[in-house]
Amino acid sequence: MKTKAIVLGILAALCIAAPFLLTGFWVRLITFTFMFAVLASALNIIAGFTGYAAFGNMVFFGLGAYTTAVLMTRLGFSFPPALACSAAVAVAVAIILGMLLLRLKGHYFALGTLGAAEAVKYIVENMTRITGGGQGITVPPLRGNPAVINTFFYFMMFGLLIIIIIVVWRLSKNRLGYAFKAIRANEEAAGVMGIDTTRYKITAWALSALFTGITGSVYAYWFTYIDAPTVFDVMWVVKMFVILLIGGAGTIWGPVIGAFILETISELVWSRFINLHLGILGLIIILVVLFMPRGIISLVSQGKGIKDLIPIRRKTRGDDR
Amino acid sequence: MIIQAIVNGLLFGAVYATIGIGFSLVWGVMNIINVAHGSFIMVGAYLSYTLYAVAGVDPFLSIPVVMAVLFGIAYVIQKYALNRVVRGSVFITLTFTFGLQILIANICLLIWSADYRSVKLPYSSAGFQIGGVVIPLVRLGIFAVALILTGLFYLFMRRTKTGIAINATALNFEGAKTVGIDVYNIYAVTFGVSAALAGAAGCLISPIMSVNPFVGGPLVGKAFVIAILGGLGSTMGALVGGMVLGLVETVGTVFIPSSYQELLGFSVLVLVLVFRPQGLLGKRFYE
Amino acid sequence: MSEVILSGRQVSKTFGALKAVWNVDFEVKRGEILGIIGPNGAGKTTLLSMINGTLSLTRGTITFKDQVISGLQPFRIAEQGISRTFQIVKPFPGMTLLENVSIGALFGKDKIRDAREAREKTRAILSTVNLSGQEDVAVENLNISERKRLELARALAMDPELLLLDEVMAGLNTTEINWIMDLIRKLNEKEGRTILVIEHVMKAIMGISHRIMVLHHGQKIAEGPPEQISNDENVISAYLGERYAKRRGASGQG
Repeated sequence: MKTKAIVLGILAALCIAAPFLLTGFWVRLITFTFMFAVLASALNIIAGFTGYAAFGNMVFFGLGAYTTAVLMTRLGFSFPPALACSAAVAVAVAIILGMLLLRLKGHYFALGTLGAAEAVKYIVENMTRITGGGQGITVPPLRGNPAVINTFFYFMMFGLLIIIIIVVWRLSKNRLGYAFKAIRANEEAAGVMGIDTTRYKITAWALSALFTGITGSVYAYWFTYIDAPTVFDVMWVVKMFVILLIGGAGTIWGPVIGAFILETISELVWSRFINLHLGILGLIIILVVLFMPRGIISLVSQGKGIKDLIPIRRKTRGDDR
Repeated sequence: MIIQAIVNGLLFGAVYATIGIGFSLVWGVMNIINVAHGSFIMVGAYLSYTLYAVAGVDPFLSIPVVMAVLFGIAYVIQKYALNRVVRGSVFITLTFTFGLQILIANICLLIWSADYRSVKLPYSSAGFQIGGVVIPLVRLGIFAVALILTGLFYLFMRRTKTGIAINATALNFEGAKTVGIDVYNIYAVTFGVSAALAGAAGCLISPIMSVNPFVGGPLVGKAFVIAILGGLGSTMGALVGGMVLGLVETVGTVFIPSSYQELLGFSVLVLVLVFRPQGLLGKRFYE
Repeated sequence: MSEVILSGRQVSKTFGALKAVWNVDFEVKRGEILGIIGPNGAGKTTLLSMINGTLSLTRGTITFKDQVISGLQPFRIAEQGISRTFQIVKPFPGMTLLENVSIGALFGKDKIRDAREAREKTRAILSTVNLSGQEDVAVENLNISERKRLELARALAMDPELLLLDEVMAGLNTTEINWIMDLIRKLNEKEGRTILVIEHVMKAIMGISHRIMVLHHGQKIAEGPPEQISNDENVISAYLGERYAKRRGASGQG
């Protein structure tokens, strides 16, 4: 335990020192990675812990981004209250959608959320007076020295990451987390043992939406220009799922590790093989699913080596539908 | 105006049915949502385009070839890759087929570039009129071929040994194994058949729609709606679902501004999922 | 031991044309052990599932402590103080024994808020069912006897006033059966729990029940103390056939 604490401490110290030691390019890259780690961790709460693969989770990202953008441009809000509103909107929508969709299981839920997300995207895009329609919104940017701005957003994302890691860590030990895990393990049995599954599923999704929405809000302020196809793009969620796959769903550090691995590969590929970018991502997805569907963390915790990566066909354990 | 829209909707609905059947087959038999189904259609369209551009083969005639090619590709994918994860969770299979879809899209991008491709047939403007309603020959041909394919598929599933084996495997995996069915091979055949149908659909749409490497997504979206509307495990359902979607789209343009059309589609989808997940004709599914 | 804690009126469950349970009236007194027996397919598990809410009633009502519980969701019924074991044990995969049983403590009748307190209570229960050393074992690795005891532990962790046991002795050997019989008696006499038991092991269920109810083809055909039931002609007929029952009756055996 003590080694773990020391390692974490060193990492934390490095992270805090980083923006003062690295160039803007690297600072932005790491900030982006933190962002993906937060998004994947948020998805982890509903998909990894509770077992509901919400393929439409980027709807909260988009809503968070748009809420902040609209409030800051049309109503002159400053960033902090806009952020708070984004969070509230995301949670509210999660509760409403949850009441409709969480009764569905498996594929139906996954694609139902995707459908709902697409519907929201179209609504947002077509509220042209408020949202600028296809032209998107330009958010009033933070003024100042670029290096300071980079550092500001670096610590915002870092802060979010720390908070969500703590939340997930608590979930792995507390009563709420137990409810989530039980629902995932066997929803019917969970009900018989006294768990109000509907209420807990909605709570899980609302928690996931909270962090996703806040991240969207920060994204809008950071990138200053947003439009519907970008912030509601399904590729966000695909990446979140890939990160969970690589790192390990249902674990605390899986999303973080996965995010770093994916972003590293992305950067390497993007800078050299731009027109192969999608293909390589696709290939990575396929290889990860085939050879390490439980993620890196499970390999490490079970002490497996490379040769254990070849799966045996016809596993009987994987039969959860 | 409306009658024309209805006719158009029905004519195109048959193609939708072909798309929906393949997608619904894989979902019903293996519980896999094949996000790459749209890209199979796209590949079919590209192959049809290439055969026409290079060798002047009419898209209708290239159907058998394209079906064979796609069957082969899909069979191999299922046998050596997808079969390993086919009994896994939603999370895993969905993400896998997503990866497959973007891989295929990228390959098509490299081969055919991002330009829009379509087949311009010499007889594309030929047609006839019945009481003010225009029926282009091409669309009529597409309609007819799509119906034939649907009929052939139905016979295949009911009358051939392989088709019956597929049904058996879908209904009872363990039971099928017990009676000696090589279930993993059946899965590969199923995936192959699904892709073959998708490829055929691709040939059929190549004269009337232009294709680029990114049409896979919207296409599979439509396949999903058709499968849900019609209900899984039902050929008739896919036919009905396809027709309904075709009609909703064409008749919808008459009444609703185009920007809200897709919204209508998604709203219908969500409503069906919530209130009648077994679709219009299907049975309450595996849950 | 005279107050009625659970009662059912005209309880029925049909699946299409199949009458799984039909028109069953029953009463369970607080603190008693009621055994439910009947040939396979008699509707025993269906009846239990209607009591704990897993299945809805087609007709009739079930009342627990003067409150109608038929129609409530299973988790609400669990909160009232009813818990059950399943014939085919359904532990939560991917979690340890301790975690599995803790869920009962956390979400059962007492709704313990603190995870640590729940774990302590769980440890006490594990020692009651003799699984103390196995806390951190993954449930997939337990043998049949341990699994049955896990099921029992999960149900107990919910601190039920009414405990429903569904063939908890199936697959166990004689020693284990005797041990469970003693445990059930203890739960009833020392902890005051009312228990409904479904069992096929005749010796066991006759041995521990205060009263027995017999179901056949979904209907109640007999009810009473064990000695009376074992001589009841309808009961013998249901299990062994009419001719055997008449023969027994005629030769005066009892």
